[in-house]
Amino acid sequence: MATAETALQPRKNALLKFSEWLTLSRFILLCCAIICAWLVFVPLASLIFVSFAEDTPAGPGGFTFENFVNAYTKPYLADLFLTSLEFAVFSAVITLLLGAGIAWVVERTDAPGRSVFHALTLIAFAVPGLLIAMAWALTLSPNIGWGNRALQAVFGLEEPPFNIYSMGGMIWTLSSHYFPLAYLLMGPAFRVLDIRMEEAAIVSGARNWQVARRVTMPLLRPAILSTLLLIFVRAIEAFEVPLLLGLPSKIYVFTTEIRFAIAEAPPQFGYSSSLGLTLLVICILGVWAYRRATRDAEAYATVTGKGYMPTPIKLGPWRWPVTILTSIIFILSLGLPLFALLWQSLYYKTIPNVDLLADFTWRNYGYIFTYPVFLNALKNSAILGASSATLVVALGFVMAWIVQRTNVRHAWTLDAMAFIPIAIPSVIIGASILFAYLILPIPIYNTLWILLIAYVTMYLPYGMRFASGGIIQIHRELEEVAEVAGATLIQTFRRVLLPLMSPALIAAWLYIFVMGVRELTASLFLAGPHTQVLGTISLTMWEEGGSYGTVAALSIVQIVPLVMIVAVMRLIETKISRRG
Amino acid sequence: MLTIESLKKTFITRDGAKVAAVGGVSLEVDQGRLLTLLGPSGCGKTTTLRSVAGLEKPDSGRIVIDGEAVFDSTNGINVPANRRGIGMVFQSYAIWPHMTVFENVAFPLRVAQDRRYSRAEIERAVARALDMVRLSGYQSRSSTQLSGGQQQRLALARGLVREPKLLLLDEPLSNLDAKLREQMRFELKRLQLELGITTLYVTHDQAEALALSDEIAVMNAGHVIQRGTPYDIYHRPNSEFVAGFLGSTNFLPGKVESAMGADGTGVVGTPHGPVKCSFARSAAARQQVMIVIRPEDVQLAAEAPVDTTNTFQGRIANRVFLGEVIDYLVEVGGEELRVRARPEWDFNIGTPVHIILPPAKCVGISDDRGAAVARQPEAVGA
Repeated sequence: MATAETALQPRKNALLKFSEWLTLSRFILLCCAIICAWLVFVPLASLIFVSFAEDTPAGPGGFTFENFVNAYTKPYLADLFLTSLEFAVFSAVITLLLGAGIAWVVERTDAPGRSVFHALTLIAFAVPGLLIAMAWALTLSPNIGWGNRALQAVFGLEEPPFNIYSMGGMIWTLSSHYFPLAYLLMGPAFRVLDIRMEEAAIVSGARNWQVARRVTMPLLRPAILSTLLLIFVRAIEAFEVPLLLGLPSKIYVFTTEIRFAIAEAPPQFGYSSSLGLTLLVICILGVWAYRRATRDAEAYATVTGKGYMPTPIKLGPWRWPVTILTSIIFILSLGLPLFALLWQSLYYKTIPNVDLLADFTWRNYGYIFTYPVFLNALKNSAILGASSATLVVALGFVMAWIVQRTNVRHAWTLDAMAFIPIAIPSVIIGASILFAYLILPIPIYNTLWILLIAYVTMYLPYGMRFASGGIIQIHRELEEVAEVAGATLIQTFRRVLLPLMSPALIAAWLYIFVMGVRELTASLFLAGPHTQVLGTISLTMWEEGGSYGTVAALSIVQIVPLVMIVAVMRLIETKISRRG
Repeated sequence: MLTIESLKKTFITRDGAKVAAVGGVSLEVDQGRLLTLLGPSGCGKTTTLRSVAGLEKPDSGRIVIDGEAVFDSTNGINVPANRRGIGMVFQSYAIWPHMTVFENVAFPLRVAQDRRYSRAEIERAVARALDMVRLSGYQSRSSTQLSGGQQQRLALARGLVREPKLLLLDEPLSNLDAKLREQMRFELKRLQLELGITTLYVTHDQAEALALSDEIAVMNAGHVIQRGTPYDIYHRPNSEFVAGFLGSTNFLPGKVESAMGADGTGVVGTPHGPVKCSFARSAAARQQVMIVIRPEDVQLAAEAPVDTTNTFQGRIANRVFLGEVIDYLVEVGGEELRVRARPEWDFNIGTPVHIILPPAKCVGISDDRGAAVARQPEAVGA
């Protein structure tokens, strides 16, 4: 075989050179790069284009700075900016306190019920933000909140003590939605914090507060900082909570302002996209700072080397008080809203009250399951969730493999490109994809395809992270030895890589599926009359305000399967980490 | 059996810098022999091995296995790794955790492209391979339940199950603890002799290299510095690098006084006096050389010997008792000489002693190839 090749050595022309350069991995890389670039840059380009274009009834017109002048000379812009910042900063701090507190109890102490707390956090993670916001409105609205009623009745108050339609209410609601994220980020930091570092400080003569100030806090600082930054970015791009709870009290943030400008008649595309650019810049800066901070956190994580054994702090007499306090946090952040939804779902057209047990009914559930709009949305959400998860996992797996395993130059740019959407708020994804496919002659407007493109774009970074994480865990030599043993690339994929990675890939799939089914913000811009999803119909039903019972039943119907999927996902993840 | 001709491999780092990992290596290994590539990390030994396996594509050169060119840059031949029919053991063992012991070993037969193996054939071959590495009876175990040493044997069985023409071992013992390593050394030697399989072995551990090899190629900065039998490499190093890399060594700088005679010896003038020694290669008079002598070859005596050739006066500066030997630091004219002595030669700190450097054990090294290579700017190990 070798000699035959030797005999035929043709002169190289350009085409041959190209075909020689174009190995299989380079070809796949090129395909992935094109898909990635399309997904990421088309919406961004259209956002920028629209922001510099005149708004005409026929679509974007000539070049203009009008939109920026219009947006940035409005007197309430400073107000909008400060409100958004206030909302994001305080949400980040409260979320961190909740998440880190629970993570500390679970990871570092011997308080009873730690595994229950862990499971409860993951349940909280599964609940969509829109539903959390609804639940809090049902609990602490001055008019319909059963919590306010109950407090008024117990303490004989004239006025409802809480108003969820306020900045404080928004911050609390968002924190109760995001604290699982802070928990998941802070947990590993507490876990790898080697107690021997603290012991070394004690042996050196430090007192407890000195240990905390000089050893524990500095070691945790990168994790705290990165958590704060990520939650800040997530909070500034949050949409559901400001929409449901800010709007009734006329509290506007960037995301809601952008949405309303587009929903107006005629739509102010130029104005909203020029606002969107500011939001985008803030988010990009935030994510950039977050990446730097996590790099520091990783550098610290490697400090703890071999022979590390996590030793829980013995709380002694404080064991039960800590557990009770943690339970109260869970009741306040998760128990109240879920209880409100569950209870409300069993009443029709009435606000639940202790006296009204007689009005208990299943008819809300009966109604939901025969409501054609719901059934259609359920189908759409399931299709979108499943297909975006499949595409993202496949794309992420192939790209991560190329980046991690081949020596193709510039492969890392793929990694960087696939990460960009994490800095793009869903509001902007929704708006810019809407712009892009209104301008481009690709007739997918009002179809599921445009939603699928949005979902795949948004979840691409997660697919990439999961796949890279999975591949990094698998030692390169496990594949190489298969190759040397005579296996082809396909055989190595099928017999070695896929079986080893399948838990990570399944977990990634489920995670993206859950996010897809929960999606509201981008869908709001892109869903047409026949392509409504669970998020958009929930919002419509809430806004129409017909029956809170029906909306609550709709919420419970979504939450229960999501919680079950997240439980399965965690089960798989524990299996992975046990093997790793 | 295995021939490597002027193999070159340059890596391009992310920031675009070129790093020469292998800078023109030529080697051949005869049928049934074991050649070790020995060198510090980043010397290019692993890149050379991986090029032979087909896991790395060299920039230029030629690799021939059993008469078949598997890589030849001039003809554009590059047989992929899965068609080279090689057995290989990795540093991490690379045991697949999702397969049983049996499935791990059976894998090369299951994916074989040249022929299909029947179930009975696979069972027989796996049983034999496991028997060879003394893992019989472990077939149905999960591979993650094995100890480090057992995983190592399993990796070896997997490498041998196809009865490959060539076996590649990439630091196979480096993850084992000291006792197990010594045991596996004998085991590897036994297997290699029994099977007569041509083997290329990569290690940075000189003891392993000396114990196992028919021949050693010492590498540094992408080049082979010296090739020879373990005895030659150890006792007749051709450069400061080789002498320094294998075991501890004393270096005495000096100038050649009388050039190499018919018996291959000559006299070198050192600050302490003339030293009679042999030369690694011919040395002219007045040339700067380095005399190399191993600590265990230096003799100590309380009384001056009759023949005072290569004898100097010194004083015991420090001593460490190690059980089977005593390590001394002996001060000679302001410099320190390391001496490894049998426990009978028991001197207290501060005692004056006579130091004898047996001429047969002193090697004059006239040029330093290792250092010369390391000084080339592009030849930085990867």
